[in-house]
Amino acid sequence: MRPAATRLAAAPRIQSSFVAAPKSLVFQALRCYSSAGGLEKTEVYERIKQILTGFDKVTDPTKITETSHFANDLGLDSLDTVEVVMAIEEEFSVEIPDKDADTIHSIDKAVEYITSQPGAN
Amino acid sequence: MPPPLSTELRSQVITVYKELLNLGRDYPKGFDYFRPRLHGAFMANAHLQDEDEIRQAIARAEFVRKEIEAL
Repeated sequence: MRPAATRLAAAPRIQSSFVAAPKSLVFQALRCYSSAGGLEKTEVYERIKQILTGFDKVTDPTKITETSHFANDLGLDSLDTVEVVMAIEEEFSVEIPDKDADTIHSIDKAVEYITSQPGAN
Repeated sequence: MPPPLSTELRSQVITVYKELLNLGRDYPKGFDYFRPRLHGAFMANAHLQDEDEIRQAIARAEFVRKEIEAL
């Protein structure tokens, strides 16, 4: 009779120790050494914002938001856009083919493109 | 917006613009002197619609590129 009583008493303790595991620990356990670093959207945005702030054609840095359109919001022409894309290529050490570069007209498009590139850093 | 340029010519223009921009980093009078002028020179031809005229302008850009390479 006694061993059974011990088992019953022990069971809830084990269960509760599993439930108590904090969420952050679970995430850490799933992070493998082999997984690509991958860039965070916010970090990519901050770095692109930095590039644009340093660009002399952007007269009003307060207009730079996550969805700014290069031409409509920031007043850049198509050649400026080419320069911005070149600067982004350098910043993240990626090469953006012409056909992809043509689709990058706004900050959110650029962030989306960079986060989808595994080689970006 | 004017009708879109043929994609082939468009990419040629962008390619030569990028090449010139990269060469301009070592321009004797400095990149800050070079860049607005390069930009202006390309923008001055932005209105071109005739494909032959555009090809001529690209040829001119190629000529300038070779001149700068020779500096």
